[in-house]
Amino acid sequence: MSEPVLIFSPSPHIHTRRTTTGAMKHVFIALLPAIACALYYFGLPALTVLLVSVAACVATEWAVTKYMLRRPSTISDCSALLTGVLLALNLPANLPLWMVAVGAVMAIGIAKMAFGGLGCNIFNPALVGRVFLLISFPVAMTTWPLPDAGFGDADGATGATILSMLKFGNADGATGATVLSMLENGAPGVLDRYDMFIGDMGGSMGEVCAAAILLGFVYLLFVRVIKWHIPVAVVAGLAFVDLCAGFPLWLDILSGGLLLGAVFMATDYVTSPMTRGGMLLYGFFIGVITASIRHWGAYPEGVSFAILIMNGFTPLINRYMRPALFSPRRKEAVK
Amino acid sequence: MPLSQHIGAPARPIVECGQHVERGQLLAESASFVSACLHAPITGTVASIAPAVLPSGLSVMSVVLKATDAEHEADSLARAEYWQNTVPGLARAGLRDFPPVEDIRRIISGAGIVGLGGAAFPSHVKLSVKSEQRPEALIINGCECEPYLMCDDALMSAYPSCIIDGARLMKEAAGASHVFVAIEDNKPQAAKALAEAIGGRTDVSLRILKTKYPQGGEKQLVEAVTGRRIASGALPLSVGVVVHNIATAFAAWQAVVAGMPLIERVVTVSGDIPENQRRNYMSAIGTPLSEFAFTMPPEARIVVGGPMMGRTAVRLDAPVLKGTSGITVLSGKSRRPVQACVRCGVCVDACPMGLEPYLLSTYGRLRMFDDARAAHVADCLECGACSYSCPSARPLLDYIRIAKQRIRK
Repeated sequence: MSEPVLIFSPSPHIHTRRTTTGAMKHVFIALLPAIACALYYFGLPALTVLLVSVAACVATEWAVTKYMLRRPSTISDCSALLTGVLLALNLPANLPLWMVAVGAVMAIGIAKMAFGGLGCNIFNPALVGRVFLLISFPVAMTTWPLPDAGFGDADGATGATILSMLKFGNADGATGATVLSMLENGAPGVLDRYDMFIGDMGGSMGEVCAAAILLGFVYLLFVRVIKWHIPVAVVAGLAFVDLCAGFPLWLDILSGGLLLGAVFMATDYVTSPMTRGGMLLYGFFIGVITASIRHWGAYPEGVSFAILIMNGFTPLINRYMRPALFSPRRKEAVK
Repeated sequence: MPLSQHIGAPARPIVECGQHVERGQLLAESASFVSACLHAPITGTVASIAPAVLPSGLSVMSVVLKATDAEHEADSLARAEYWQNTVPGLARAGLRDFPPVEDIRRIISGAGIVGLGGAAFPSHVKLSVKSEQRPEALIINGCECEPYLMCDDALMSAYPSCIIDGARLMKEAAGASHVFVAIEDNKPQAAKALAEAIGGRTDVSLRILKTKYPQGGEKQLVEAVTGRRIASGALPLSVGVVVHNIATAFAAWQAVVAGMPLIERVVTVSGDIPENQRRNYMSAIGTPLSEFAFTMPPEARIVVGGPMMGRTAVRLDAPVLKGTSGITVLSGKSRRPVQACVRCGVCVDACPMGLEPYLLSTYGRLRMFDDARAAHVADCLECGACSYSCPSARPLLDYIRIAKQRIRK
């Protein structure tokens, strides 16, 4: 019998089965309801945007590692795939495909790989891609296809989102205030809360259906990939401004990219704080900035900007919101 | 029998080559206050006093004993008599009256008792406190230090009354007024046995704690039992408590009541081996690791201790020491391919000391030792919870150790 091989290694000698790639797969699974809704409401164009976005993100990462960094490829960690899905869900389904590809190259090439790849980027890559497109192609990025719940039947009907109607008025000439009162009072032919909850309205592919996003949120909490702190704090921050300034809260929560941003974009590990206290602070200010941009800024929507701004503060938050050291409490509890 | 299997000065041998020794006879005496005596675990002849290899591969001066078959036979009978008649009999008789405090301390010191949880710190040192610093309470640690290990559970289930009496003896020696016996809630059988052994006593109480790692860590344990937190770098005595392991209490009972020095301990054999090989042995200290019955996986990591903090053995002819709580047999390599840190915060949540392992490890890797010191790297217990839980399989603790070693210099 041959002598058994003794392996020498430092402790610990056992290891959790959870992996970073596994966490990304969980996020992807959590996005499936939102993806399904996007396909249901926006049909074939949604699928092509999704595929182009994913393909362009993965291809960009592969090309950068192979030809510029000359390192082993990192696409198997699934992070580029996830960025592609998230970028697509933040775009209108009728965006020209070459624009989608440009956004993907920006997201991976500039926002992620230029900073050093996975774990080194300061800003959320998918949101950098989206904001780049929004600033470069403002018309295409704010022309939303109306959902028609028919696969492949793209008749080209487009319209404004509720948020832009509130800001700029609707196509019939009603002002934002009128649109608001129509929404509040449930005028015929206008969206109600139920429509908004299930996503039967114009918007980016992944943001329209609150129900699908919340389903994903519950899944992510269940598999313990994210904590509740950031999403809840985002909504709390938004609610704080809305209640102080007297804006319609339910409308603000259910419209636009708020929930998608709160659950899937703001919780990105790399660009969000590490401690619970830091997460609450970060999330709260995302909510505050979002509401401020929506109601007082030039843009009808502000979730992407709010998250990117707070991404920039994350290193600072990590520096000052440290975990509590194990040390005697000021007031010692005596049994 | 390595002369240095405890923290402190190596013991000074008092036997000579070729001398016959009886089981339990003193082989080496405590060389200073922080040191421990060493007794012969078997009857036999001193073959040599020379460097011998520890499981870690280090060589230390050791007394090597050899026994003939006849001596081995006689020892086996003596052991059987001791465990089957003497110990149960004394346990039934119970502890009537306490010897004087000085005697208890002297017996514990003379029996070579050290912390059996793994640290192997000489127990009499912790018990010899000045009268003005006397602790309020003694905590007996029955929270198995690590996953896989079952040695404390086995002792508590088998000898609950001896442990309680041993704890009371130690309480007297330490000058404390109360004993807390702490146990995790995954050992209901042991907890029940201890509760029965405590009965109506008012000076001993049982505390059942949540099962988590590292609940058996000294600072974590003291906080869980008393709600008090020990400051960085301070001893439990600073918050009025002394902590001893359950097996140490049992050893104290054996020394004081049965007159038996520390020559045997419970060793858990566990890991990636068949179910029927996973068991606890009452093993003579000095037994070579290769004597334990387990199937070696083709590529094995033989961990002396538990899987979180134990060390891999490089030699199987090396002996079980006083601090060896288990032998954990693991197959294959433990390390997975390392991925990038995505700052998910799992290590921060895992750290029982409230440190930021991802940051400390980066400081260690980039040789930023001053920053590591400022971030309290010295508080790290090396419990391994961060490396265990990292989803990117980063070698966090390896780099933290580098930083710790460097700032210690």
